[in-house]
This record gives sequence, structure tokens and C-alpha cells, in this order.
Amino acid sequence: MTRSSNGIIAGVCAGLAEHLGVNRVVVRAVMAALTLAGGAGLLLYAWLWVMVPIDEGAAATIEDRAGERPGPGRTARHGPAAFMKSLRSGAQRDVMSLGGREVVIGLALLFAAAVLVAEQIGANIRWESMLPVVVVLLGAVLVWMQLDRTRRAGLVNRAGANQAGGIVRIGAGLVLVIVGVLVMVSGAGRWEVMWSSVLASLAVLAGVALVLAPWGLKFWRDLEAERSGRIRESERAEIAAHLHDSVLQTLALIQNRAGHEQDVTRLARAQERELRQWLYQDAGRDPGNVVARIKAVAAEVEDDYGSAVDVVAVGDAPMSTRQDALVQAAREAIVNAARHAGPVSVYVEAGADKVEVFVRDRGDGFVVDDIPADRLGVRESIVGRMQRNGGSATINSTADGTEVCLSLQTEPEERQ
Amino acid sequence: MNSQRPVSIVVVDDHAIFRSGLRADLDEDITVLAEAATVEQAVAAIVGHRPDVVLLDVHLPGGRGGGGAEVIAASGGLESTRFLALSVSDAAEDVVSVIRAGARGYVTKTISGAEISDAVGRVADGDAVFSPRLAGFVLDAFGTAAVANVDDELDRLSSRELEVMRLIARGYSYKEVAKELFISVKTVESHVSAVLRKLQLSSRHELTRWAADRRLL
Repeated sequence: MTRSSNGIIAGVCAGLAEHLGVNRVVVRAVMAALTLAGGAGLLLYAWLWVMVPIDEGAAATIEDRAGERPGPGRTARHGPAAFMKSLRSGAQRDVMSLGGREVVIGLALLFAAAVLVAEQIGANIRWESMLPVVVVLLGAVLVWMQLDRTRRAGLVNRAGANQAGGIVRIGAGLVLVIVGVLVMVSGAGRWEVMWSSVLASLAVLAGVALVLAPWGLKFWRDLEAERSGRIRESERAEIAAHLHDSVLQTLALIQNRAGHEQDVTRLARAQERELRQWLYQDAGRDPGNVVARIKAVAAEVEDDYGSAVDVVAVGDAPMSTRQDALVQAAREAIVNAARHAGPVSVYVEAGADKVEVFVRDRGDGFVVDDIPADRLGVRESIVGRMQRNGGSATINSTADGTEVCLSLQTEPEERQ
Repeated sequence: MNSQRPVSIVVVDDHAIFRSGLRADLDEDITVLAEAATVEQAVAAIVGHRPDVVLLDVHLPGGRGGGGAEVIAASGGLESTRFLALSVSDAAEDVVSVIRAGARGYVTKTISGAEISDAVGRVADGDAVFSPRLAGFVLDAFGTAAVANVDDELDRLSSRELEVMRLIARGYSYKEVAKELFISVKTVESHVSAVLRKLQLSSRHELTRWAADRRLL
């Protein structure tokens, strides 16, 4: 539920009507009736006014109207900026930015020295009237120190304001300032007077806080909305940039090459793979591991030969020199399949004690023993390589297709 | 390999180009009763036409943002209608969400017209359709070893089911799996259906974690 931008007072009734799907006249009548019933409607209205955020589009409207109608939206929007500006331009900036604490301590010491010198000379200094001034100064310094720290992260940065230390510091500073001012104003160090004035001022402060609370809340909400808006905006920009660099470029290329079926398929596959990788990249998988390596090899072959290579992977295992040999053998098998038989499906199952790779195609098949002796591809690069590294390779070829199965046991010392 | 009885379907996908392409690719004995592009349209079309099979895109606009899984939930209770999920995405959470919502199978959109017609027929017959990738997910979620120390029958795969899943992940068709394992195609189908049931009902923490991460529970 949001408050409407075109209501009579604060858009509460209009918003409520929209939320409940009732005519707003009815809602207003009910609200008026409730107000007559002991002021309940008034309370409800006030509560909703404070708690319900204003409609997104409405904020802008209020901003536009700010010139003629100083509404709460205006205060919230202009408040922080003006406040920050006054903070930045204050003497406090000069003091704090110039090595901060040392300067303050130095000034305090100078002041104390001047007072002592004055007394030495013979001036009659009333110490009891000095004390409140010192207390006020101390409190102000405490608060300013905190503000200076948080200002960098934007005055009401959540992390800063939530830090217990920061809150304690601000609180202590405020208490010191209040007490000091009171002692100064009341002019007497007597406790009875002090006590009653503390109570009175606390009551006033509570009243002020109550009045300002809705504005504070709105101010906070605006800041939050702005922050999340900025985050969304930067995310959108990143996605747009990526789509532009990849997808749009590829689409342009595809339009250029529309006549070449092979090229178009290859481009589309490569782009699909890249986009998938970007969208669904598995953060849990180490890019240096077996599965990632085999996927990279498959992508390479897909680009080079233009036939689809689908990789399904289960589990993962770290690389070693022997695993490297396995990846090379798998590459050879995938290349053979892609070159001679079209679409290839690769299944990798990697566990703690064994890595298996299956490369399957649906080509016409071949008879391993018929391969001429001088053709080293299958015999050396696949079977021989696996055997030299303590693994095994079997090739099953039928008229329905060929499957190369590579298997490699993990040596005990390689296990983690 | 399937019964050749005519099958009526509803195609649910938010891309009109894809819907028309799919329509052109499907076998002649498959009748498209209706098309839908959003969750609301889909539910209305399914309840109104009561098709044998719904070809359902995982990602759909409308509704409460639940996509395909929401359609299955909202039009649930139709005994005669079965769902075959269809997606460009092969991300685990997408697949698992629709399967756990009740889809009888999952295929990617790059699949050919003949393959998809075959898959539709299979789902219409009450069988499950597993793509190699879905089989890969199952193996990832349930583990590749037949574990005996898990109490709940639903939370582990039998060694036969593991073998079947592994062969499907390797790209074998049901017929080839049957030949490889010296069993009938019907037996393969019953194993796959059993795995599907486990995938839908299991409380294995890998599956529930997926679901919980995506607020699917």
C-alpha cells in the first residue's frame, strides 16, 4: 500500500481506497465518522500518514510542487542537503579536517593557560561559572567527532549509526551539552534547581522529538529509496553494457552472415554459451578444476568445428598432471567426434577417487582395428596417453554412434 | 516407440516466435488446443481446454512471479493433464523448481521437433522425460554412489536407478539404456519414473537447499 499523490491532505484516504479497491469518497466518509467517534479516525490517519510510504511517482510530483507548497517531501529532500552543507561550511570542518583532535586539544590547553594566566595577573575568576562552559565544549567536541567520522559515509550511513560506540559517543556528548547549558542558564550550582530544570528540558526535548519523528522517518526512507535506486541503476547499467558488448554485437554479425548457415550456427552457439556462462556461472566451481577445463575444451572445439558439444558434469576434482592428460585425451575424443560425427555429448563424473569422461556421438561409427597404423589420433592421443598416465580408455563404436570412455583413478597422494 | 494416439496440448511460452516455431515443428498427431503467454492465460487455457500435455516454459510473466511452477500449482488437481517443462535455461534451480512442482519432464528449447514430439508422447503416456542435463542434476543432488546409510527410501537412488541415470546423462536414449543394461524399455521407464518421484518428494538437503534458496518451499 502506498499513499496517493493526488489526495486532499496527505493522500492517505486515496491510497487506502486504491489498496482496498473501494471508492475514495467512502473511505473518507468512514474516516470522518471514525474521527467523530472519539478521534479514532484522526489517530488512524496520523498513524497511516507516518507509516505508509508515499507512492514512487508521487515523490516527483511533490518535488515539482515544492515551490508553491512546502510539503513534507520538500523538507525531506532539501533537509539533508542543506544540513550537510551547513555542516561542511561550519568552522567545524576547518578544525576537524586539519588533523582534528590535536588542534582541539591544543585550543583547549591554550584556553586553560589563558585562564590561569589571567588569575595569576589578578583577575577574579569564578571557577563555578567556568565549569559549565568546559562541559559544554567537551560535549560538543564529542558529538562533532562522531559527525565528522560518519559524514564521510553520508551522515546517517546505516553501518555508522548502528555502531554502538558511535551512539554512545553522541549520547554522551548530548548529555554533557544539555547539562552544561542548563547549569549555565540556571546560573546556580544547586541540585534542586538543576533537577527540576533537567526534567522540564527532557519533557521539551521529548516533545520536539515526537514532532520531528515523522520527518526523521521520511528522511530515512528517502535516503533508503535513493540508495536502492542507485544500486538498481548500476546493476542495470552493467547488464546493458554486457548485452551490448556481447549479444548485440553477435546479432549484428549474424545479420551480416545470414547466408552462411554454418557461421550463423557457430556464432549463435558461441554467444549462447557465453551468455549462459555469464548468467548462471557456478560460483562454487573452481575455474582451475577438471570440469571447468573440460567445458573450456568443449567450447573451443565447438568454435573450431561448428558442431554442438553439450557437457553434463557431476561433481568436480582438482587438476594435476595426470588429470591434464585426461583433459587432453578428452579433447582429442571430442575433436574426433565433432569432426566426423556432428553433435557430441560429453559426460564428466568427477569424484574423490575417480574421474570418468564419456564422449558420445551419433555418427556412423568406425572400427578401431581398421584405423591405419600411421594415424595416431585415437591410438596414441587417446588410448596411449591414458595408459601412460595409469588410466584407461575404451572405445565402443556401433552403427548408432561411438562412445569413448576415459577413466582415471586418483592416486592416494593426490587426494586432498 | 510410443503409442501413436493423438495427443492434445497447450503451449505456454511468452515468446510468440518460439510458440509458432514449435507449432510448425510438432508431429501431425499432436493437436495444439491453445497457446498462452502469461501465468493467468496459461491457467485459464489449461482449465478450459483440459489438454493431455502442457508444454510449459519455466520463466513466465504474470501471476505472483512464480513462472511455470506457479502454473502447475494453480492448475493442479487435473488428473488427466501432465506437464512437460521447457526452457532455455539449464540452471539447476529452474529445473528443480518445476520438477518439484509436478512437471513430468524437462527439455531444453534447443531440442528438435522430432525429439519434442517424442517427449510429448512419452509424457502423455505417463512416463518421465529426462534430458542428459536433468539426469546430471539428479546425480549431483543424490550423489553418484549407492548410499545405504540413508534412512528414507526417497532420499537415495537404488544402484539400478543410478546406472540408468548415468547412461541418460551420457546421452543414451531409453532404448539404448535398455539394450545396455539388458532390460526392457518399460523397465527403464519405470526406473526413470521412480527417480522422478524421488526428485519430487525427497527431502534431501541438497534439494531442499535449492528450494529454500529460491524461496520455492
